[in-house]
Amino acid sequence: MPIKWILHWQPNAGTTVNSQILTEVSQCAEGINGVKEGRWKATISFYRAITREQANANEFPRDFLGISLSELPSKYYLVIRGQRLVLEAESSIQTIMEKLQSYRTRVALNFEGNQYQLGDFQLRVGKVAPLHSESLRGIVMEMEYIPISSWEKSHQIMGEFFDLWQEALSKRSLPGHFVHIEPNFAEFGLSDQYTAQHTAVQYASIMAQMIATAQSVQPVRN
Amino acid sequence: MECVVQGIIETQHVEALEILLQGLCGVHRERLRIHELCLKSGPNLGLAASEVRLLCDLEQPEPTWTVRHIGGAMRGAGAEQIPVLVRTLNESKVSKNALRFFYSLGYKLDHELLRVGFAFHFQKGAQITVTVSSVNKMLKLHATDEAVPVTPGIQLVEVTAPASSENYTEVVAAVSSFCEYLAPLLHLSKPGVSTGVVPTAAAAAASLMSDGGGTTL
Repeated sequence: MPIKWILHWQPNAGTTVNSQILTEVSQCAEGINGVKEGRWKATISFYRAITREQANANEFPRDFLGISLSELPSKYYLVIRGQRLVLEAESSIQTIMEKLQSYRTRVALNFEGNQYQLGDFQLRVGKVAPLHSESLRGIVMEMEYIPISSWEKSHQIMGEFFDLWQEALSKRSLPGHFVHIEPNFAEFGLSDQYTAQHTAVQYASIMAQMIATAQSVQPVRN
Repeated sequence: MECVVQGIIETQHVEALEILLQGLCGVHRERLRIHELCLKSGPNLGLAASEVRLLCDLEQPEPTWTVRHIGGAMRGAGAEQIPVLVRTLNESKVSKNALRFFYSLGYKLDHELLRVGFAFHFQKGAQITVTVSSVNKMLKLHATDEAVPVTPGIQLVEVTAPASSENYTEVVAAVSSFCEYLAPLLHLSKPGVSTGVVPTAAAAAASLMSDGGGTTL
């Protein structure tokens, strides 16, 4: 499977994301000769333990995510980030989770947008919005390099392409920038050969980052 | 959903049953070696207790894992009258870290078993699976190599077929008519309704063995 980096938009201090930034980022992808090639989508659900007493909730993971990817509709990924655990399952696992009545999905976020082809690279730019809502919560970008599936070997070319992209985007003077977080895949038991489980771990990482950012800009309440 | 019936047979008659099944199904048997782990939710998890099974298929070159959830059986007067249990069943193939995953969610190991035997998969009015297996328990945690039979001399026979709310009556009919062919050797009934071994088993087995020995398959 080709390797990809998943990046998220980090707004400058005091600013928030808006649809104008998303438009400019999409224009930038077209501006560097990206050929628009249809849509892509990923969905992330947050699972929470169902407990009889609220006090018991802390016994159970609070960073448990379910991830579906439009390129692999028959699969579903479950990630418990704190425990460095990623499970690959068939999509029917969602029904099993429902039947067990031990965890329920609290919130679901859609990541969706356009896909652009640039030679051997594929760029996917999209918005992050709650299910059944248009409100923009973030911007995400998938950067895929088709010829290589080794994380290590692709590092240099991905870094160079990312620099190029940053440079193109900087001309638009947007109030923020894309951030690349590199999870320690080995901790999750994943090898250097890229798989969809690597994608799931990256989504879980940017999710954690986006939540941390959102919480840090919220006013402190007494 | 699935339709299911179960029965037991003495190990000495298993070979005869295999000959009979081979003749009825026209397919070859597959070896069966499944490590089954039954997990239950910890005391504080969920509004009600829940149970999930992990099945590890040890016959594969690289063992494969499946999560199985068995739901409630169909109820009502209609369900009581039919000779087959119809219940909800959901399965998902998963990566090999499934046990660690469910432990992390707050599930605990209740018990584990090793099923060793064989299975036939074939189409006869429905997609029927017959498994004949000895059920073994582990003396040490996960020690599948040192498993010992739970009921020495007795094996479990299970006939199952996937069904949906639209077609289950046809599937029930297909399963029960197939079970009639096995009647001389064993009696199959809804799980939990044990009917024991049948008195004609020895004679039927002897007849099958003598016939089976003379027929080139």
